[in-house]
This record gives sequence, C-alpha cells and structure tokens, in this order.
Amino acid sequence: MKLKRRDFLKMVGLTGVTAVAGCSPDSTKKLIPYLIPAEDIVPGVATWYASTCRECPAGCGILAKNREGRVIKVEGNPLHPINQGRICMRGQAAVQGIYNPDRIKTPFLKEKDEWRILSYAEAEDLLRFRIKKAAAKGPNRIRMLTEVVGDPLLNLFARSLNQWDSTGPMVFEPFGYESLKAANEKVFGVKGLPSYHMEKADLLVSLGADFLETWLSPVEYARKFKEMHSFHDGKKGFFVYISPYQSLTGANADLWISCNPGSEAAIALGILREGLSYDDKVRLPYTMRESLKRVAYPFTKEKVIEISGIASNHYEKLVRVLMKSEKPLILGSGASASGITALQTEMAVLLLNLIRDPALRLYDFTNRHRIEIASRRAEIVAFFKSLENDPVDLLLLNNVNPVFSLPPGSGVEEALRKDSLFVVSFSNFMDETSKQANLIFPVSLPLETWDEYGGKQSILSTLQPAMGNLTDAPHLGDVLLRLSCDDKKSAQIFKEYLFAHLVEKKRINDKRDWTLALERGGIFESFFPEEQKGLSHSEKHLSQALTEVFSSSFLGEMFTPSTAALTFIAAPSIRFFDGRGANKPWLCEIPDPVSEVTWHTPVLINPKTIEGIRDGDLVRIESQWGRMDAPAYVTEGVRRGVAVMNIGQGHQAYGRYAERMGLNPFSLLSSKVTIDSGSPLFSVKLISLTRTSRSTALAHTDGSRTQQGRKIALSVLYKDLIGKEVSEKPGLTMKDFPFTLPLPAGYDRKRDFYPPHEHKEYRWVMVVDLDKCIGCSACTAACYAENNVGMVGIERIIQQREMSWLAVQRYHDEERKENLIFFPMLCQHCDNAPCESVCPVFAPNHSKEGINNQVYNRCIGTRFCSQNCPYKVRRFNWFDWKWPEPLNLQLNPDVTVRSKGVMEKCSFCIQRIKEAHQQAKKENRKIRDGEIQPACVQTCPAGVFTFGNLVVKESRVSKLIGDKRAYQAMGYLNTKPAVIYLKKVVQEI
Amino acid sequence: MAGLSYAEIDRTVLDTLKPPTRTYWLIIALLFFGVLVGAACWTYQIFKGIGVAGMNHPVMWGTYLINFVFWIGIGHAGTLISAILYLFRAGWRTPVARAAETMTVFAVCIAGLFPFIHLGRVWVSFYIIPYPNQRTIWPNFQSPLVFDMCAITTYLTVSALFLYTGLIPDLATVRDRSEGLRKKVYTILSLGWTGAYEHWRHHARGYLFFAAIATPLVVSVHSVVSWDFALGIVPGWHSTIFAPYFVAGAIHSGLAMVLTLMIPLRKIFRYERFITINVLENVAKTIIFTGLIVGYAYIVEYFVAWYSNNTVEQESFQWRALGYYSWEFWVMVSFNAIVPLLFFLKKIRTSIPWLFVISVLINIGMWFERFVIIVGGVAHEFIPYSWGTYGPRWPEIGILIGSFCLFLFLFLLFVKHLPSVSITELKETIGEAKNHGR
Repeated sequence: MKLKRRDFLKMVGLTGVTAVAGCSPDSTKKLIPYLIPAEDIVPGVATWYASTCRECPAGCGILAKNREGRVIKVEGNPLHPINQGRICMRGQAAVQGIYNPDRIKTPFLKEKDEWRILSYAEAEDLLRFRIKKAAAKGPNRIRMLTEVVGDPLLNLFARSLNQWDSTGPMVFEPFGYESLKAANEKVFGVKGLPSYHMEKADLLVSLGADFLETWLSPVEYARKFKEMHSFHDGKKGFFVYISPYQSLTGANADLWISCNPGSEAAIALGILREGLSYDDKVRLPYTMRESLKRVAYPFTKEKVIEISGIASNHYEKLVRVLMKSEKPLILGSGASASGITALQTEMAVLLLNLIRDPALRLYDFTNRHRIEIASRRAEIVAFFKSLENDPVDLLLLNNVNPVFSLPPGSGVEEALRKDSLFVVSFSNFMDETSKQANLIFPVSLPLETWDEYGGKQSILSTLQPAMGNLTDAPHLGDVLLRLSCDDKKSAQIFKEYLFAHLVEKKRINDKRDWTLALERGGIFESFFPEEQKGLSHSEKHLSQALTEVFSSSFLGEMFTPSTAALTFIAAPSIRFFDGRGANKPWLCEIPDPVSEVTWHTPVLINPKTIEGIRDGDLVRIESQWGRMDAPAYVTEGVRRGVAVMNIGQGHQAYGRYAERMGLNPFSLLSSKVTIDSGSPLFSVKLISLTRTSRSTALAHTDGSRTQQGRKIALSVLYKDLIGKEVSEKPGLTMKDFPFTLPLPAGYDRKRDFYPPHEHKEYRWVMVVDLDKCIGCSACTAACYAENNVGMVGIERIIQQREMSWLAVQRYHDEERKENLIFFPMLCQHCDNAPCESVCPVFAPNHSKEGINNQVYNRCIGTRFCSQNCPYKVRRFNWFDWKWPEPLNLQLNPDVTVRSKGVMEKCSFCIQRIKEAHQQAKKENRKIRDGEIQPACVQTCPAGVFTFGNLVVKESRVSKLIGDKRAYQAMGYLNTKPAVIYLKKVVQEI
Repeated sequence: MAGLSYAEIDRTVLDTLKPPTRTYWLIIALLFFGVLVGAACWTYQIFKGIGVAGMNHPVMWGTYLINFVFWIGIGHAGTLISAILYLFRAGWRTPVARAAETMTVFAVCIAGLFPFIHLGRVWVSFYIIPYPNQRTIWPNFQSPLVFDMCAITTYLTVSALFLYTGLIPDLATVRDRSEGLRKKVYTILSLGWTGAYEHWRHHARGYLFFAAIATPLVVSVHSVVSWDFALGIVPGWHSTIFAPYFVAGAIHSGLAMVLTLMIPLRKIFRYERFITINVLENVAKTIIFTGLIVGYAYIVEYFVAWYSNNTVEQESFQWRALGYYSWEFWVMVSFNAIVPLLFFLKKIRTSIPWLFVISVLINIGMWFERFVIIVGGVAHEFIPYSWGTYGPRWPEIGILIGSFCLFLFLFLLFVKHLPSVSITELKETIGEAKNHGR
C-alpha cells in the first residue's frame, strides 16, 4: 500500500487529536454543540424561530429563543393574530417538555410485562410488520386516536389509514365542547365553534365558561376580555359570572352569582323569558318570538330562583343589566359546569344572544376554533367499547392519555390490555396510557418539528424546528410516510409533504410564500374577518330543534328537586389544562392563582359544607364511581354543598414531577355521557363528603388571605373615579403620605435624611395596572424561564422557601370574601431602598439607572436585606437548586445560576436592559420607549405591565403615572418604589 | 468578709487548682463531645446550605442570631461587675468579679461565632472586614452589621485585656506555689510580676483606667447590637427605645447568669466564705432594678404601638401577645419582668434555691425575649401575603447545645486552671475592712 503525503498527514493529525481527546481528564464540554455551526448561530446572540404553541388546542403563535443551539425560552409571536405576542404559563413551560428529565429517548417494547429498549429502526420495522399483518387481515384492523393536530398531519393520518384499509383517526380531546357544538348546529346549522368578538361587548355574562383559564383559546380571550373590561377613556364593561364555584374567570367578574350546580339552563331560560317581555328590545320575527316564549314559559322568576338558589336581587339585576346593555355577549358553560343539561344551557345562551342581537355581530363564524374537529366524547367512549368486540389488531395513539383523562368506568385500560390488540403509543412520556401500550414510539416534539397548526380556521400557522433534536426520535409524519408510501413519486419526508399539502390546498403558492410564512410564523392576512355569511337560522329548523331539545324530560329534570345535596365538580386547571402539564415543574411550582396552593390538589369546599373544617384537613369524597381522601381548602368561592377539584394531577405515571403528586378528580366521575350532545359529565353527585381525623400541611404560598386593612392592593369605585377629585393635603402618616417619585423630585428635606440619587439618562420604572390583572400567573412562569429561578418542590414550599421573583398575590376582600384582587408583587426597585442601607458588603447596589442591583458574587448571606425589605420580594438560596439533566439546557446563559447562600430577586431583567444598551450604543442613539420588555411584561396576556424610562417626559410610563389611579404600594414607608400601581376599578352592577 | 486571713484566702483559692478528679475529666469529655456535635452540625450546614436550618421566607433570622444576642447579653454582666461596680466602689462585687469577667470573655467569644454560623456564605465572610484591596471596595459603613463587627471586636479585646490585667498578681501567686511545667507556664503568664511597689502602683492605675475605658463599652456594645434591629424598618424593631432596652436586658441576663454560675461554684469550691449570701443578695437586688427596666420597656413598646396609630405596628404587637408566638411572649414577660419581682422579698433573695431557680428562669426568659423580637417581628411583617412562622430544626438545636457545651467547657477549664476568685482583691478587702472598720 502506498501512502500519500496528504493521507499520512491526515492520519497523523487524526491520531494526534484522538490521543489528545482520549487522554484529557475531563470529557470535552462543547460550548456550541455544532462541529460546523450553522450560519445563523452566533455565540452570545439569540436566534428566534417562529412556531406555534401546541400545549393546548388554541394554537398561539410563539417565538422560540435559541441560544447556542438550544431553545431556552418561548415567547409569544407579536404578529400572530390569536395571541398577539402573549402566551400563558403553559406555553412558557413548553420548554420543560422537550428538556423533561423523564422524556423517553428510545422506543420501548413490552415483552411479558417488561420493557425492552429498541432502536428506532427496529421499532419502525416492527411497526411496518404489524401494519402489514393487520392490513392484510381485512378492513378496519388499524385504528388511530390522536390529539387535535393540524390539517396536513390529520390528512396524512387519514391517508395512511385509508391505505391500510381502515377508517380515519378519531380526534380525542378531554375538553371537547360537545354541547356548544351541538347547540350551534341546532340553532345556526353550523357544527363548529365560532370565535367571539368579546372586546366589542359592553356586557359579558358567562354561565361557567372559564375563558381566562382553558376555554377555547384563553390567551386570546384574556386579551379581548381586558379590552372590554379594563378602565379606559372613562369606561369599563361589565362582567357577570354565574357558576357554582368561582374559578379564576369568576374571580375577575364584577359580580359572581353562585348557583346550584346544573341549574344554568334554568337561569338562562328564565332570563330569556324575562327578556322576551321587553318587546321593544327584541328584534326577532313574531313567530320566532312566540316559539321562544313557549320554550321559556315555565321558567318564571320564582321557579328559577328556587331551582338555582341565587338571590332574587342578583337575578333582577342580571336581567335589568342584560336588557339595558347595547352589546351584550352571553357565554355558555365551560367544561366543568356542564351537567346533563349542558346542551340546553348552550342553546338557551344562543337564544339569549339571538334576542339581544339577531345579527350576532359578536360571533365570528368564519374564524372557528380548530378544537371543533375533536370527536364527541360519546364517540370516544363508543370507540373504546368497540375495541372489545371489533377485530382491531393495531391501535395507534398519538399523544393522548385516555387512561388518565377518562373516568375509570370507561373501560379504557381493559380495552388497551386486550391480548389481540397491539397498542402503539407515539408519546415521549411514560404516562398511564403509554404504560398500557405494547410499543412506545417517541416522536419529535412540536418545538423540534415541521408542521402546520392553525388554531383558527382562517389562519395558517407554521411550526418549525427551533433546535436540533435532543433525542433520535423521528417526526411522526416521517414515520407514517415511510410506512405508508411505497411509490416513489409522492413526498418521502413530512416537510415536503407539508409543503405539497399546503400548495394543494391553495394556502401557499410557492417556496417563497413558504419561507415567508416560516419567517413570520404563518400567514395571517385572511385573519381579519369577512362579512358574516351563510348564517341561517331558519325558523322552521329552529322551532323543530327547540321542541327536540327542550323536551318534557328536560323539564322533568329541571323541576324535580334533586335529592343528593352534594355535588363534586372536576374543574379544568389553568396550570395543567387536562393533565398534560403535570410533568412540568414550573406549572407545579407556580401556585394556583385562586387557592395559591402548589404541587398538590386540594378539594375546594365552603366552610358551611362541613362545619369546623380547616385547611389541610383530609376529606373523604365518595361518589358512585370512586373514593378518595383529599386535603380541604376552605373557601367562600364555592357554593355550599359543592366540592371542586382541579383537573390535572394525581397521575399514576408520567414522570417524577407528576407521579403520585396530587389527586385525579376524573377518578370520581361517571363515564356516562349526555344523551343529546354526547358530552362528558364533569360533575357528579356525591354519596358522602366527610371529614377524616387526619390532616396534612397544604403547600400554599400565601400567609394571609386578606390585606389586614393595610391597603396594599388598592381598588377604587368606578363612580368615585369619574367623580370629582378631592385633593388632600399631604402629610407624613400612613393615611396621607404623598406620592413620591423615584426621582430627585421625590425627595424632600423634611422627609429625607440622605440626598437623592441622580439619574441622568434613564430611570427604569414599571407601571402595573391592577385593573387589567387577571391573576393568570403567566408573568411568573416567564420569570422562572428567563431568570433561572430555582424550583424547590413541595416540601420546601411548605417550609416557605419558594423562589419566585414575581408572585401574583391574591387577596380576599375583608368583608366580602368572594371579592378577589390580584396583585403582582416584584422587587419595587425603590429609590430609597431599605435593603441597600443594611447590607454590610454592598451586595444590593443602586445603579445609576435606578435599578436595585443584587451583586451575587458579593453577597455573603447575612439576609439582612430580606429582613428589611417591606415588600418581602427577596429570595434566598437555601440550597443549591437542582435542574435534573437535561432540564439544565433550558437555563438562560445570560443569567447567573445562583449558588447556595446568596440572596436574589427581580432584576427588571437587567440582561435585557443591557442588550438594549448595546444595541443603542451600536446605533448611536438612546434606548427607545418600549424597546425593553422584561419577561413578565412581554408575556402578560392582559397587558398589565408597562416598562420604561421615567426621566423622559414623553415615555408611556411618565404619562401613566399621571393617572388618577396611580399609587405606590406602602408608599408611606418613603421607600419611593419604582413599581407604580394603578388601582383596580371596581363597579357595582 | 470578716475573719478571713491572707493564708485562708490563698489556701481556699489555690485548693481549687489541685489536680482534678476523674468526674471532672468525665464532665469535660462530655462537654467536649457536645462541642463536637455543634461543630458537626455547622459543618453539615456549610456543605448542604443554610436551608438545613429552619429559617425561611419571611423569617430569615433564626436561632443563630437569637443565640448571638443572648450570648452578647450574657457577656455584659462581667464588665458591668468588674468595671462599673469597681468604679462605684461596690464592695460586694469583689468575690464574683473574676468569674463574671471570664464568663464575659467566653460568652463574647461564643457570641462572635454565631454571626459566622448564621452566614449563607461563611467562606467569603472576610468581605465585611475593611481591608485595602485593589478593587477599592469597602464595606458599607452605613450598615449596622459593620458597626456590630467593630463594636464586638473592640469589646472582646478590651474585656480580654481587662481580665488579664486583673489576673497578673494572682498568676504570680500561683506561680510561686507550683512546680515543674506548671511553674514555667505561670511564669510566662505572670509577666515577671514580683510584687514590687512599682508593679503594684502601675497595676492599680492601669486597672482603674481599664475600668474607665471598659465602662462605656458596656453601654455601647449592646446599643450597637440593638441597632441591628432598630435601624431596620420591621414593625417591632424600628423603635428608639431599643438601645436602653437591650442594654438593660443584657445586664439582666448577665446578672442572672452570674447567679447561675456562682451558686454551684461556691458550693463546689467551698467559696461560701468569700461569696457570701450578702453578695448574692446584692446581685439579686440589681436584678430587680434591671428587671424593672425591662418590664418598663415591654410596656412602653405597647404604648408606642398604640400611640403611633399605625395599623401595621398595632397588629404586630397584638399578634405578638395573642398570636402564634403568644406562648413564647408570655414566657418572656413572666420570666423577665414578673418573676424577678419576687426578689423584693428578703426571704427569697437570701434563699439559695430560690436564687438559683429564678436566675435560670431569667436566662430562659431572656432567650425567649430575643426569640420574640427577632422571629416575631418579621414573621408578621408589612405584606400579609408573606406572613409565615418559623421553628428551629435539628442543626440549630445541635449548634445551640454545642454553644452551651463550649461555654461550660471553657468555664470549667478556667476554674481548674486559673484562680476563679481574685486573690489580690480579696486580700485588699481585708485591709480595707481593718482600716475602715467595715
């Protein structure tokens, strides 16, 4: 063999490198995980990839921030019409899905109850073999159950199944809005879920729809809701919430009317009856009006009050305000409140909307929600029943967890365990359903894949990989294409298939469109609604539906007094949605906005339901279908005789953060569905609800539920606000202390001993509008993600050691306990900061831009700063917090991970301020107003926060502090906080 | 101290320095084990993080700082007795002064340990020292913790030197009566004392000046310690009464500790003829005085809280008496302010068992006073959302036990190796008694 000089050198080089690499004591740590970095990766500079959030079916647009090859944060895409740049806490936590330490990296095959690791190639071969075998046996031998997916992928599923001689996939979502869909079909002939122009309404009434938490598209509706319900231009819309318990949505209402569970339909029909008596207000044809009158006739005021148990003055108020308002919008029930009369409730609500506005201007039928494609629960249940008898050989499950989210009586587990059935779970986690599967085949997660998912009909919203794959898991589309496509002509990889599909559907024309769409996150131009069209509510059709729905059996149901006094309601959770969020530690750690309980699932009960019950007492809940012991959370926000539990926790599997954490309310529910709309029942009558002798410590983060008369989170009556201003002479006491700007102007020789700080160019200030805050805690999640805030776990929360830099504090009104106010508390960056003066080593330091910086390196851990902080926003690192691998890959490289023994707190996202400084310096200009958005400001769905420079008179913050509502939390301590609150505006209905 | 002769004094005091019994060494070993337990707890805490202790958000200061203030308080009586009462020519101080001074030095040493134990990052605690450095970063002289560091180091230095100055003639006495290695050690320690007139003259003057220098320190140190709290804005801390309140409290606890230590000491070492019941009675009388000041301070705090018309302050004090820590509060009030009033009865203040029991109760009460102030203040602070409670956990209890063991360990070593009663000063009293017919 002749050795060339070049080959020789290559070999010497290679040997040398190998020797050096092999001998080094530490394994090489790659700063950038690329051999040859991609062009768009510059160390230290983030790359943003537009994509679509898949944490729930709403389909918000997101931008994934990629640093050195790893996605470190997800933010809303400002161009996206659904969420306009905002996302909720579940969206923020999406990164903890890809980096979840319990994520399965390889396929697993179950052999005699033991899991065997397979390679992806082996798994695919096995799947191919199984499919071939099943398809050869006959039709419908292969079935598929999938979560809601985008059109292209759904199309591929259908095509593949079709090729295998089977019917298309079933789309399973635990919250399927069956009744709403059915009602829409019956009244309008549209079997779908229209979106609502909530922002244009002047009165909003919800009979349980929790549109701030999970209902249809929470981020979108939170924004729209606050557009109509926040104080601006001297106006504020009304919101009435009618439900047996006060969800987060109900906590934001001007009036929460607590009603008996299952009485919503009666209330809606009662109001309909009252409304129809206002002849001048009802703009409907005579015959239609008459048929409506017939339907509503039995629901007299007395009857409704008797059935629903609501106060008669509340009822009268409701009718009056509804008939008085110009643009009312009435929403039906959410998932949780739907009982067996859910369809009637939804129907009555539609009719109510119809009599107030026959043109339905607040409905948008051209922009329907994607979730409408979900199969009815009745179909799902029937599907699992059919598995028992039908000769199905292969069941494909795409990211669904029916074992967890269907009540135990549904027989899902039994169906999956059937020997002749080979179950394949395309899941990344060993959840309850995957555990029952024969083959677990992990596929790439949404942040790693090409896809399309339009949360609403008219928009195209793209997904693209925001980083390289963490595991070798392939795209589900690629797998199916390889399995189903034998001819060489059509697309072999899903990306091409996707493109071809979109071109075929005329959503895009060419590669240029595609690239543009990817860049922007989708094509949104068609978003702005066209004229309402094709909406026909033919009278004949309607009257037929009316007799059908409001049948005598319904009346019988309504007018028979219920014997069981106790009702249990499983409520969707803003934190876990249907349970898919339970394995993400941020979502567990961030407290529930209403109960402030973290990590576990208490049962919410009224103090009158069980006399003398206290928080943490274990309560035995027993229904016909199951039994459990749950810690009690005693609250006035639940009607007497009702027990409410949030859905999402209590997993038997699903990784370390979910397993055996909390309780699963599904396990008490009936597997029955309603006859008319096929919707599941999220409430159940209880056999007993008794207190046990045991109790447990609740991991809650609030020390007191009320403000103890300290006037921290302030509110103002609407009528006082628009009335005349009463000027008070400022003094030095708690009552009359003046507003003191965090500027030299705020200093007064009479009050201040030390000279003011000079802020030459910038004085960063945040304005927090309490009138807009809905308490959703998206800001907290964003803060955890941006600032590497430690997760401490349940025991340490019980020890009061949570680390969150921004807590949305919830206070009950002292007198009217059901009135809640949400108060985002973060470091106030005081100009006269109590923490700064007491530190012996200058670890808290006032910057020339007014920020109270915490110098971690300098901190010796005396903790005096925290003792002296009246706002209690400083957090101490009691230990070195753990980010189990690969969760650590999410850490923001711009922010220090604090070690044990140092104090930390909100920095106003100093890293973002520094970035803006660099940019401004490069461009030789000053930082523009609005250029800096701290993480909380960026994500807030309701636009509560405004951040800016107080030195500049024209900045938004400078203008906002002139608002009559502006105040400083405990300003009387003369700390001169730079976080300025605007009072919440409360109004009486 | 009638009827005492020089020889008897020498004999009695020097008898205490005879080779100790096996029981003594057993006790010393036990105490040393206790010290090791404390040290092990601290080591564990350093490796795991301060979170192994019970402190939390909002109560970020726990038993460590309670112990710190407690021991500093104990460390006050010594200097009070040896310096202030020396200046006031209170004759009854003489027999207890030495032991009280030693107690002071040890207590301050132990107190000085606690801020370090308390720190989150003790390995960088030197940042607090104003040492010249190229980054020209200095400590924050505005911070009460820096005042504290200065005050305590000064106090420790002065009280240690004061103790040593008083010891020199006695060390020479011991030197003259010992042999071998012992003699060598005492020779070095006694700095060549010969009892010459010049020596006596300088010693007497020096001791007087030291007493004069040490006197303001008694007041200043605990005032500075009180500012650790009073300069904070925490309701229940932010009060102008804190300096005198703390000084009185410190002396209160210090005197009680003197009684607690002296009563067994006089029994074991047969000091009954030096430390007469009269001496103990005088200590008890002083305790009545300090107890009244402390009780007055408790009342004034409530008056000010009411008078301020400040909801936060009022709620804080109401909660203190009736809330989660009410038990601790009432222990504090009754043990510190009410129980000492029993000393108004002559029968009780001259009864050894009563004296001992009450002194121990005051020590307990004073520990709880610091607990109520430090923990109670921040537990119910301005923001109700952040209210919380605190309870110590095993490493803190281990360290607390360790600190007591260390104190007793040092004290027991002291009483067997150095004259625990000032021979010189006792002898002086005989002369005085003769001259002035006392």
